[in-house]
Amino acid sequence: MTSSRAEVDLQRRLELVHMTVFCQSFSPCGKYLAAGNNYGQIAVFSLSAALSSAAEEEDQKSVITFTAHDGPVYSLVSTDRQLISAGNGDVKAWNWSEITKKGCKEAWSRKPPFRANLELPEINCLLLNQKDNTLLTAGGDAVVHVMDMETGAFTQAFQGHMDYIHCLALRDQYNECLSGSEDGTVRLWDLRTGQEAQVIDVYRHQECARPQYGKWIGCLATESEWMVCGGGPALTLWHLRSVTPTTVFPLQDCQQQVMFYQDLILSAGNNPTINHCQISGGVKAQIPCTAPSVYSLAINEQSQENMVLTVAGSSSKVDIFTNFQYRAFSLSFE
Amino acid sequence: PREAVDAEVNSNTAQAMGAVTDDEVIRKRLLIDGDGAGDDRRINLLVKTFFKWCNSGSHEEGYSQYERMLGILAQCEFSMGKTLLVYDMNLREMENYEKIYKETESNIMAAHEKIAECKKQIQQAKRIRKNRQEYDALARVIQTHPDRHETLKQLEALGKELQHLSRIKESVEDKLELRRKQFHVLLSTIRELQQTLENDEKLSEADDVQETRMDTQ
Repeated sequence: MTSSRAEVDLQRRLELVHMTVFCQSFSPCGKYLAAGNNYGQIAVFSLSAALSSAAEEEDQKSVITFTAHDGPVYSLVSTDRQLISAGNGDVKAWNWSEITKKGCKEAWSRKPPFRANLELPEINCLLLNQKDNTLLTAGGDAVVHVMDMETGAFTQAFQGHMDYIHCLALRDQYNECLSGSEDGTVRLWDLRTGQEAQVIDVYRHQECARPQYGKWIGCLATESEWMVCGGGPALTLWHLRSVTPTTVFPLQDCQQQVMFYQDLILSAGNNPTINHCQISGGVKAQIPCTAPSVYSLAINEQSQENMVLTVAGSSSKVDIFTNFQYRAFSLSFE
Repeated sequence: PREAVDAEVNSNTAQAMGAVTDDEVIRKRLLIDGDGAGDDRRINLLVKTFFKWCNSGSHEEGYSQYERMLGILAQCEFSMGKTLLVYDMNLREMENYEKIYKETESNIMAAHEKIAECKKQIQQAKRIRKNRQEYDALARVIQTHPDRHETLKQLEALGKELQHLSRIKESVEDKLELRRKQFHVLLSTIRELQQTLENDEKLSEADDVQETRMDTQ
């Protein structure tokens, strides 16, 4: 009996060493953080407990860890009542109220209509469009699928990319969505008509192209007229209306996550640092974090008292930054 | 030992009165004057001196006891006055502390408000900085393109040159046409002349032949 427990312990410890956390999402109340890893597990952490002044060792472990998918969980997103997770070909939803009470039964599970039926392509990115109440999914089949949240039916499919899609971003004001893919292009899709509005060949522009790293676009973020994207090519800020690259950031590694925050651009990639960049092109700060390669950055904008930056990547620890300038502590996936 | 004796005396009187227990009395006395070097002793001394003065025999002794009593009374009054002043002082000190406490509280509130205000200002400033940086980024891109007036002028100049050259081309072509026509005229005239000459030659040859034939006949 004891030897099998020791084996289980050893196995778990091996798993922890090889664990990669791909995605994170905050609960609608802002008190919980859900993180999904490469073993298909989702762990829910209580942020309010971990951030309170009387926090202990126990509060930095997960409240509940459950297996959500057979394969890795690549993307997580939250609506105001549910947590939606996506893995190898399927999208599942879980009720937040049940999860926080340690129940792990899925609310629903859907599959986007893939053409190839032999293998299920992975879903790399989920995006919630709250205006239309739709969910956009994109991944290995190079098509952006749009699912209506109320009926669960897949209404639109945007085809055009040549290779699989890494990331999605939404432009509410123009009712458009952007997708960045392995084929090196960023395409803008009009959500109303379903047509491709524009194609930006990022890798063809001399200022940002880095052929030694490839042409893939790993991360996208947009804000009104501006878009920042990176990956194989250097992290660049684009002005969308004139489709010109305005600033190229002097970062050596390939960026895998990027987001706009107040007047800064936060990005992270193959290095264990979070880069704070300014729109003028300077890198203001590079803050070290635990994971050697960062796959997920999230800011809890919904909650005033738990407004933290959480960082996860190829490590079983999720870093919490209360003041964005330094790492406060880490939550661990046990 | 003195205190113990006093305590015993008191407990006896207390038992006679039958009111409070020994411990309470002892505790109260110890609290009020624990060290035994103060007022309690003085009051006892006063009582004893009073008895001595009442029981005194000679006038001098009585007078000395009387003096001593007055002295002790004065000391007691002095001590009491001091205690009252200390009590007043404590009360005023308490008021002062209350005041300071309230002031500090209101300062804390004001500081909180100021912090909130400053945070708002920071947000505003960050927004302004962001807008400026966006503007700068676009301006930098625009600067790399040449000036619009310059380009317009260049375009105009090029247009004029184009017109001029096309006019020259037209005139050259006209001249070419004219020359071609003139050459055509020249060549056709030459050929006509040639024809006429040949015809003339043929005619004259024919005439010659006829003449010789007529001659031989």
